[in-house]
Amino acid sequence: MTTDDADVPRTGTDEPDERALDVAETLRLIREQQDQARDATEPDTRLLCLAWGVAWLVGYLCLWVSAVRVADGADVVLLRSGAGQVVGAQPEPWAFWVFFSLIVAATVLTIVHTVARTAGTRGVSARTGAMYGWSWMLGFACYGFVLGGLARAGASPEVMALASNALASIVVGLLYLGCAVAFDSRGLFVLGVWMLVTAGAATFAGLPYTYLVMALAGGGGFLVMAGIEHLLRLRRRRLADGPALAGRAGAVDA
Amino acid sequence: MPETELDPVIHAPARLRVVATLAALGSGDELSFPKVQKLLGMTAGNLSTHLRKLEDAGYVTVTKTHEGRTPATYLALTTRGRAAFEDYTAALNTLLRGAGA
Repeated sequence: MTTDDADVPRTGTDEPDERALDVAETLRLIREQQDQARDATEPDTRLLCLAWGVAWLVGYLCLWVSAVRVADGADVVLLRSGAGQVVGAQPEPWAFWVFFSLIVAATVLTIVHTVARTAGTRGVSARTGAMYGWSWMLGFACYGFVLGGLARAGASPEVMALASNALASIVVGLLYLGCAVAFDSRGLFVLGVWMLVTAGAATFAGLPYTYLVMALAGGGGFLVMAGIEHLLRLRRRRLADGPALAGRAGAVDA
Repeated sequence: MPETELDPVIHAPARLRVVATLAALGSGDELSFPKVQKLLGMTAGNLSTHLRKLEDAGYVTVTKTHEGRTPATYLALTTRGRAAFEDYTAALNTLLRGAGA
């Protein structure tokens, strides 16, 4: 950073055009190599957000559609509010099957993708990543026990439905905030905040609207995040390919 | 640090690619030999030769260890190596601007 002056006179000794091509080529080679290295060692946020966005959007829409339809039908398990008014129904088993299958699929994809990408890495980031992975495991193991305890204490299906969605969103939201802190990512911080807002809104909406909020705000949030990450990546690449070739180091020095 | 020439240790394309790859990791992070080899598409012998030169210059550390019973080798950029890489890219950027780009 302080040696720039020493480099300047050297440019005079070469054919300017030939030198520029060489230098530009070399900088491009460096950038490509580094992009490739990052792609091979870091999980792709776009892919993970896309998977979870689809799982939540489709899964919760199935629960919503099923709950609303059951609420209108004849043989239903109606959920009543405190005032005795029908507020929704338990979704049918098929909807739960679709929902849980999608969640399991997204979980498996996340684990397989992350393990494959981070294989062969060691050190600070690998340790941070492992602790982060365990945080998810422990968060959701605890989640299971809490729900079990609530059910044992006689929580109604409505309370169980609200608590299970709210607690899941809170765990997800807080873990994204933690991830944003650990890996210094503003995007993930915004996603975390959004998931916490979703948790509150979905619970206040009440059944069956909870499912709709979870689908649109939760699933939609993931999909928007995937889209933003994709656009940011395209923009970074385009800027890097620009004529000035302002690489990271160059931009700082300029 | 007088720097009238581009660092010859890094200037060789193969070694530049090795250093660029390791510099993409955070400081304190290591990458396994096979993963680097796969990323660069080099033979093990070729990569080892370049690593020796980088190690001799104090730019890269090569750590041999065991994972269970399998021997494993990890590569990392030293602080000096990272500084050399940053100086190198800074020098290239200066050259590029100096050439009227």
